[in-house]
Amino acid sequence: MHHDIQFCFTCLRDQFWSQTLDGVTLGAIYALIALGYTLVYGVLKLINFAHSEIFMIGVFAALFTLHALGMEPADPAKGGLALVFTLAAMTVVAMVASGGAAVAVERIAYRPLRRRGAPRLAALITAIGVSLFLQELFAARYGRNILGFPRVMAKSHLASVAGADVRSDKLLVIFGALVLMLALDRFVALSRLGRGIRATSQDPETAALMGVDIDRVILLTFLLGGMLAGAAGTLYGVFFESARYNIGFLPGIKAFTAAVLGGIGNIRGALVGGLALGLLENYGATILGGQWKDVFAFSVLVLVLMFRPTGLLGESLGRARA
Amino acid sequence: MLRGRRAFGRLGIAVLVPLVVLGACGKDDNKNKAAEGGSTNGKKTAVLGFVGPLTGDSANLGVNIRDGAKVAIDEWNKKGGPITYQLKEFDTQGAPEQAQGQKDKFIPDSSILGIVGPAFSGETKAVLPDLEQAGLVMVSASATNAALPTIVPNSKVFHRIIADDDVQASGVADYVTKVIKPKKVALINDNTEYGKGLWEGVVKLLTAAKVDTSTTDSIDPKSQDFSATVNKVKAAKVDMVFYGGYYSEAGRLKKQLTDAGVTAKFISGDGSLDQGFVTSSGAAGGEGALLTCPCRLATADLPGKAGEFAKNYKALNGRDPGTYSSEGYDAASILIAGIEAGNDTRAKLLSYVDTLGSFDGVSKTIQFAPNGNIKAGDVFVYEVKGGKLTELGRTSELAK
Repeated sequence: MHHDIQFCFTCLRDQFWSQTLDGVTLGAIYALIALGYTLVYGVLKLINFAHSEIFMIGVFAALFTLHALGMEPADPAKGGLALVFTLAAMTVVAMVASGGAAVAVERIAYRPLRRRGAPRLAALITAIGVSLFLQELFAARYGRNILGFPRVMAKSHLASVAGADVRSDKLLVIFGALVLMLALDRFVALSRLGRGIRATSQDPETAALMGVDIDRVILLTFLLGGMLAGAAGTLYGVFFESARYNIGFLPGIKAFTAAVLGGIGNIRGALVGGLALGLLENYGATILGGQWKDVFAFSVLVLVLMFRPTGLLGESLGRARA
Repeated sequence: MLRGRRAFGRLGIAVLVPLVVLGACGKDDNKNKAAEGGSTNGKKTAVLGFVGPLTGDSANLGVNIRDGAKVAIDEWNKKGGPITYQLKEFDTQGAPEQAQGQKDKFIPDSSILGIVGPAFSGETKAVLPDLEQAGLVMVSASATNAALPTIVPNSKVFHRIIADDDVQASGVADYVTKVIKPKKVALINDNTEYGKGLWEGVVKLLTAAKVDTSTTDSIDPKSQDFSATVNKVKAAKVDMVFYGGYYSEAGRLKKQLTDAGVTAKFISGDGSLDQGFVTSSGAAGGEGALLTCPCRLATADLPGKAGEFAKNYKALNGRDPGTYSSEGYDAASILIAGIEAGNDTRAKLLSYVDTLGSFDGVSKTIQFAPNGNIKAGDVFVYEVKGGKLTELGRTSELAK
């Protein structure tokens, strides 16, 4: 059966607000993951493809926290203080696990290469290798099937705004991601360590001469990116309720795309890129049908890069000001 | 069942599994020689091959078939007859290109007299011409693509003990129009050859039955997020949703529809008939979903052979039979019956299966049409009740 492309603009008009809300929800998660790509790219000019698996480790860590708290897939959702405590525990454990894993990957896989002055391409291939290694490790240990993920939070319908179904879990994802992004933005702009990150991304050699400990800055960058990926993993787990060895692959690719769309190396660019990609996907799927979702989103990406080769915000991490 | 999806990064397993299989072969060198004509201490060994996914995203379905075949082999070996049976496993991961690689192992292995499988339609397409050339008979428990008998014109080796997707689509359409009676439906597929094939059949038949089929969409099976599709279905205010695809995505889609407040009946095909559907949807999210299959799930409470098989399966494998387990058992049983009747070469076994007549299987009474298709065409409907797949009956009876 061949496929005619049919445009349905009335569909977009009718479903605009519901598609917008869901696009923003998914886009917020993309943005949170995208920060990890952007930070590492900013200081090392490396696309850390293993970042999608750092995110996957966050999803698993969140799930294992639930197991440790004795929560089974069939158990009822939590409410009130129990919910706050559970979410906090999942987030902390996932941030520690993902942050730790990101630091370990940097120490074991990337630093030895840098010490030997290996070309950037070697680090890139290593990143792909680490990504596959972590996927297969989790597949071998936990199997290739989807693992049941308990419902932590009731998906309570709060209000209907112009047809959009405002739900508690969507709000949690959007506000959780925004708060973390804001915190990172302020940290990089205002703290001493953040200044080190900015200095290194502007000019590593001069930064080193000025007394910045480059290895420490790089380690910190991986830690920050990993922790945000862990938090993103928690939100993703709570929202989609599944865990699997390859769950990071697609969000990882999308987040990388979001980082490029917004301007890789730019923290606010990751936010803009993530939200833009989430919206584009849902608008594209509404107008053209689900099978054209990625075609639509990536066509827009290509168009944007044609006119703004450095992405929407373009500016580098080093120049981000307070 | 046909798999168009391609798994990513399975190299490690792809290397390991054949190594394990080879390791197992090494130990049985003497037995293999026995099968090739010689015999040691009066006992002969006969080898069957299993071809299908044992790892990968849809591994459950392959494992179900293999474990069903194991029950048949175990039963005959326990009887202590003059022939000892053995199953060699060839993991395709459900991917046609992996099946190509495995083919170079099972076709030259002259100890293998017949194949249980291949499990999926894509891999069957990939290896059928070579099976034909080698005269190696295949009995698939689950390859349902309607076009398979025409891949090799006048194929002698092709057989399957499951009705094809066209038969399933008409069973679904019959049930939907006579029992659910929807005015407006949403029809969704996963863009794989299997999912889309079944979907096309259902779209055609429901449109012909004057049901409003204007709401259609495809999802990306690799994605977790189906919100665009869910919003579309919700806006269209349909009475029923049909999904063509596999269990993991079907479960997620059903859950996201339920969470969005869509109460339309959800129905999907054999690719979704697996307990993995409920893992994916959650018990509450999956409740009330209808799943069809041209196969019958064997459960211990069924009377006669099917119930007995379910008990033996559990005793041997430590879990209940799944989708296609009884078909796997029947496929192996047919081949074993042929070998027991003295057909101890590939050529003799092929001619035995080709002229089978009627075989009283656990899943159904099996009779092959000249093109290798099965003659019986019952489609069963299951409902998710309390987190379990519960049989409602045959579409032909339910749709009266």
